[in-house]
Amino acid sequence: MAELTVVGKPVTRVDANEKVTGEAIYGYDLVLPNMLYGKTLFSTKAHARIKRISTEKAKAFPGVVAVVTGADVPWTHGESIKDKPFLAQGKVRFIGEPVAAVAAEDEDIAQAAVKLIEVEYEDLPVYVDPEEACKSGAVAIHEDFPKYRKVDFIVPGAHANIAEHFKLRTGDVAQGFKESDLVLEEKYFVPMIQHAAMEPHSAHAQFDKETGRLTIWVANDAPFRALHEIAEALGMPKEKIRFINPLQGGGFGSKGGLKVEPIAVALAFHTNGRPVRVKFNREETFISTLTRHEAVVYSKTGVKKDGTLMAREMTIYWGAGAYAEKSPTVCIRGSLPAPGPYRIPHVKVDGYAVYTNKPVAGSYRGYGIPQGAWAGEQQMDEIAKRLDMDAVEIRLKNIFVEGDISYWGEQLHAVGLKETLTKATEAIEWGNKPHQIKPGVKNGKGFACIQKPTRSPTTSAAGVMVNTKGDITVLAGTVEIGQGCNTILSQVAAEELKVPMAKVQMHPLDTDVIPYDASTTSSRSTYHMGNAVRRASIHAREQIMEAASPMLEAKTQDLDCVDGKVFLKDQPQMALTLGEVVRRKFGPEGVVRGDGSYTYEIGKDLDLETGHSDHASAFYMYATQAAEVEVDEDSGRIRILRMSAAHDVGKAINPLNCVAQIEGGVVMGIGSALHEEMVIDQTGKVRNPSFLDYHLVTSLDTPELISIIVECAEPEGPYGAKGLGEPGLAPTPAAIGNAVADALGIRIYDLPLKPENVYWAIQNKKKKDAA
Amino acid sequence: MKKKVTLTVNGEEHEIEIEANRLLLQVLRDTLGLTGTKEGCSIGVCGACSVIIDGRVVSSCLTLAAACAGKKIETIEGLAEDGRLHPLQQAFIEYGGFQCGICTPGQIMAAKSLLDENPKPTEDEVKEWMSGNLCRCTGYYKILEAVMAVVNNKIDPDFAFRKREQTAKIQSLDVYKSVAKTN
Repeated sequence: MAELTVVGKPVTRVDANEKVTGEAIYGYDLVLPNMLYGKTLFSTKAHARIKRISTEKAKAFPGVVAVVTGADVPWTHGESIKDKPFLAQGKVRFIGEPVAAVAAEDEDIAQAAVKLIEVEYEDLPVYVDPEEACKSGAVAIHEDFPKYRKVDFIVPGAHANIAEHFKLRTGDVAQGFKESDLVLEEKYFVPMIQHAAMEPHSAHAQFDKETGRLTIWVANDAPFRALHEIAEALGMPKEKIRFINPLQGGGFGSKGGLKVEPIAVALAFHTNGRPVRVKFNREETFISTLTRHEAVVYSKTGVKKDGTLMAREMTIYWGAGAYAEKSPTVCIRGSLPAPGPYRIPHVKVDGYAVYTNKPVAGSYRGYGIPQGAWAGEQQMDEIAKRLDMDAVEIRLKNIFVEGDISYWGEQLHAVGLKETLTKATEAIEWGNKPHQIKPGVKNGKGFACIQKPTRSPTTSAAGVMVNTKGDITVLAGTVEIGQGCNTILSQVAAEELKVPMAKVQMHPLDTDVIPYDASTTSSRSTYHMGNAVRRASIHAREQIMEAASPMLEAKTQDLDCVDGKVFLKDQPQMALTLGEVVRRKFGPEGVVRGDGSYTYEIGKDLDLETGHSDHASAFYMYATQAAEVEVDEDSGRIRILRMSAAHDVGKAINPLNCVAQIEGGVVMGIGSALHEEMVIDQTGKVRNPSFLDYHLVTSLDTPELISIIVECAEPEGPYGAKGLGEPGLAPTPAAIGNAVADALGIRIYDLPLKPENVYWAIQNKKKKDAA
Repeated sequence: MKKKVTLTVNGEEHEIEIEANRLLLQVLRDTLGLTGTKEGCSIGVCGACSVIIDGRVVSSCLTLAAACAGKKIETIEGLAEDGRLHPLQQAFIEYGGFQCGICTPGQIMAAKSLLDENPKPTEDEVKEWMSGNLCRCTGYYKILEAVMAVVNNKIDPDFAFRKREQTAKIQSLDVYKSVAKTN
């Protein structure tokens, strides 16, 4: 490969200026001419039949333009199971479900009118525990579940509340346990948490009766998928719908799918062509948008005396909340690698996505990996302890290496796991016992390993335009959600067209003009869209070379490109700028456009009975994180002294961006480890829907962090790159959990590791030791 | 009941008519169109709406606009002068102190109010001061690096955004060990 000029360098972000000056326009900043303001009435019942809705008073309120309920918008949507009405129809299934909406001349009027809507409910049994919700006798939260339209890979469970049952079957676990010297069986729990992107959700919609076109302005991280979902729900042709993306203020999985969009769309059909904005405040975002799956994980592992893993059986109940959203695929892609990145001959996994009467769970940075790792990686340490083995040694004996066949039947390549394990543990001086200095404070070290697949198969397409000034415009449907994709993709275009970064700009995202992209999710963009932009750039370069060939009286193979110029390889002074070539060939306003697309084709589809696939993922991300903690025995408070995070990224296209993703991921992971949880009572009500009561990590809680980039090149990836957005938080809680267990000699099975949980664990052990 | 109020924002006087219950955040964003000040939590916890009033950083979501009459209000839009970024804005770019950017105006305004009063705070003082501004993307490291870069005068005197190739400065780059493995 020729030497890289921009790729691999920590160039500053291209979206910097507007973000530090306040000029950047985000979803909720957008003011459209003649815009109306929407507010929503949310269900106050977790599970109830709607006996009556009365909207007369709201409709009569001065300044109100439209009031809509489920009766006005008889549509349902859902990515893989079409189960969610735009507004509640006949019944409500969680507190926070949109029931009705008002559009008015200003937000205060809309809010006042919402309060005038009367709803009479008839209570139904409420299920807040996923295990309880699928016991026999539990009533169906979705009576019509069998009739819902579903994508073809959905396998409903035995109980009506099981939206998806994922099965992995390899070898014979019973035999494996029989052949084991030690078998350990434990139950772990991960609570529901929230993304807490700093920008709350909002959407604008406008319906033009003349053209029959529906336009939606929304910071959605998968506009093409959202467009498809709206089109399918409304029975509208896709070309009648247009999504325009303003900037997105964070997402972490919360802003894909449809959240506020259906409410804005429902209102837009009743405002006589006027655009309407629906903006959620923080509390509404907490209860009505999206959460991360709570998970109950049963893990049973059998090993030989020498540490060789023999069998692992896992049963995972994923609390889906009231609607399926992305639960089926979280269940599949979270359950599949839950047994960990290890060679295990006998594996059995049952993952159940279970409806409950709680806020909807869906995609969340990590997509099911943190929950499996919390159980699996702690159990690995527990096994090591009982076998009197070093925790690194037992991992090294079993971890995936180049060429291994995984327990789902896929041969693995570009496996950088071992390097991440070695580097992360070395960084916290694993071999040295933690110092025990302060009285009443115990120190410990721990680490955890993960492997994460990406959504497959998917497609990304891109366009690259070169004008007569030699300016490059990249058309890509990847959404800049803060992760830095605009910088990465600009680097790729600059690299292939050999122009300075300052010559490249990204086109704003508008589905009318931007080529298709599957989604900005699953850490897939650098790999998929990186490949697409690279191909589009090469296509543009080839056209320019072709055009330059007669101008420079040379064959294209004798030409080269550097620093915005095309020149003869052996006579570099014989040169034309890219812009000059475009101008001479296509005139003063001419443009050259290159196109490219990339699709990762999977081999065999996932077998629904065994969970096997020879290509389950376009690539796999590997990581190890290690932590050193101190635990105050009197208060149960944990302080993280230092952490290391080693991530196999394939190739760091922008090391600054990689480090930024790791740092942000680890700190988010620390929050989920130490204090984050949505507290939901037996009636299904969220008790802490604000940043006052739901604690995010602050600048005071950040430990010393050593970020380590491991580059184990992925041959199909652009310049060898894989992905990095999600894994940053995936092993963090398990690493901290292992460090806490090392410090205290006590295993804590439930997240978060908040002081009272740790305190009671210490007290219980004291009692047990005394008895 | 509407009330006439004169607000001085970034040195410019605005005579406006507002309801007495209007919050400064609403007036800045909706009345004056200064959307650089962001809303994150609406209850004064997250710091996204931080502005400086008479030298003190406040949450504009908890401040009545009418109570700001006669006071000097500074927002993110007023920081750059004659197209030249404020040193903090420049540092946030050079040191990668932002990702999605929603909390960034608040972070910068909070940092400015600290440095205006105490140009040489210690790293711990900065960490503590900035704890009132939440960020979900960065994990805070790069924000703190950016602020400390201004404190320690480690920003590029010839900085010109995107006029030439800019390489980000990562103070602690030597700890980001890169271990390449080729197959």
